[in-house]
Amino acid sequence: MDVEQKELSERVQALLVEALQVPLEVVTPDLSFGDLPQWDSMGHMEVMMRLEERFGVEINADTIATLTSVPQICAYLKENNRV
Amino acid sequence: MSETPRPELIPIVFVPVIPIPGFLTGEVQSKLAYVDEAIAGARVESDKITLFLQPSAAPAGALLPERRAEVEEKVQRVVLSMARGAIQPKAQVLEDHLHRPVAYRKDPMIELLNRGEVSREGTGIYSLGPLLTRLINFFELQFLALAESFGAAPHRFPTLISARMLERVRYFSAFPHSLSFVTHLREDLDAIDQFAQSAACDEHGLNTPPESFSRIQALLSPAVCYHLYFSLADKPLPGGKVIATAVGSCFRYEAINLVSLERLWNFTMREVIFVGPKEFVLDNRETGRQRMARFFEQIGLAYRVESANDPFFIGEFRKQAAFQSAFQLKFEIRASLPFKDSTLAVGSYNYHQDFFGRNLNITLPDGSPAHTGCVAFGLERMAFAFLAQFGLDPAGWPQLVQEAMQ
Repeated sequence: MDVEQKELSERVQALLVEALQVPLEVVTPDLSFGDLPQWDSMGHMEVMMRLEERFGVEINADTIATLTSVPQICAYLKENNRV
Repeated sequence: MSETPRPELIPIVFVPVIPIPGFLTGEVQSKLAYVDEAIAGARVESDKITLFLQPSAAPAGALLPERRAEVEEKVQRVVLSMARGAIQPKAQVLEDHLHRPVAYRKDPMIELLNRGEVSREGTGIYSLGPLLTRLINFFELQFLALAESFGAAPHRFPTLISARMLERVRYFSAFPHSLSFVTHLREDLDAIDQFAQSAACDEHGLNTPPESFSRIQALLSPAVCYHLYFSLADKPLPGGKVIATAVGSCFRYEAINLVSLERLWNFTMREVIFVGPKEFVLDNRETGRQRMARFFEQIGLAYRVESANDPFFIGEFRKQAAFQSAFQLKFEIRASLPFKDSTLAVGSYNYHQDFFGRNLNITLPDGSPAHTGCVAFGLERMAFAFLAQFGLDPAGWPQLVQEAMQ
């Protein structure tokens, strides 16, 4: 993982900490939906809303189902030139 | 919620605080039933809301500005909560047989009431006569055959459901509006004597003071499959896979949305329930759908299977509905109601991911939470939709149904 990727991953992890209201130490670079009790359906939608606000990406029914891990979210942000 | 205003109702019209997307107007309208007891009807459009208030909202003959403002403010809160940042659901149609020819176009409810085949006991509470009972028995046999095709183990579940267990699956925050609570008189001689001597019922209900009643420990069950999940809680799933079936009374209070046999407070549901690994649940849900499609084709039912969401309450609606849609967790069997050019959900194919496994600690052999799903059929709705398409005269019914009913 290069520096740029690492920075992006850390920004996404920080967003997860806020959205899921969990300590930073439980949010790992490969965390996925369902790995934490807080990352459930409601938690996931909180993450989606914050991604939309923070990065200005479009969140729709298709993206909701695919952005289910830190690496997937990072890849989506990068593809959409939001970093 | 009914769109039909009665003449004595008081209409008020205002503009929603933000525009309501077209895909949400029906959902917002249905939620307005729970906003204020004065609301007797509503019509929601993207840029206009019309409420019809009970005459009792204007005791002096005119609606007070403060009362109007109070109702309007509550409605605007609903609009904001549901429409702000709303995500359009992903519409997926798995089957479309809505254009199958049907022989009947009248509202069967009128004829059912006239014939005494249905009798209304109260809001959303109906007794059914022999015609509907036999028809429901016929559909039950088909659903039982589906259950047997999976080798589903039969279960019987109580009508009451534990408040503690419903809390564990977070039902109170998701569906508070539709709960039906159970209570009894407190174990207190004075309260029981007082009740025995003075209990009376008027149009508003019993006159008993609330302090005479116990705290709520149980509710009327809103679904069948929950009982199976509760029985499997806090232990490894036996054999790693379970298929079960049960029929039961279910209760969902829907305020003024309770209309005819289309929407009952007390209804009956048959479910076939799958618990196990993800693929096991999803494969069986799909197999169930295909098997039911063959039956519906045999009787010529006009229907469609399409993605749907559960009727989450206002606070959770936006997120939960979007999540269900995105992950394609729920598909409804919507039968045609020709008399109103509309459809009615008569059943559903559901997948809950590992929600129940996680919250109830139901574990697979590898220690991971079990996944769950079910296929569910509303028996009264199924029979009602059938009558709406084929009429009350058995001579006009499909051969298969006629023969089975003889």
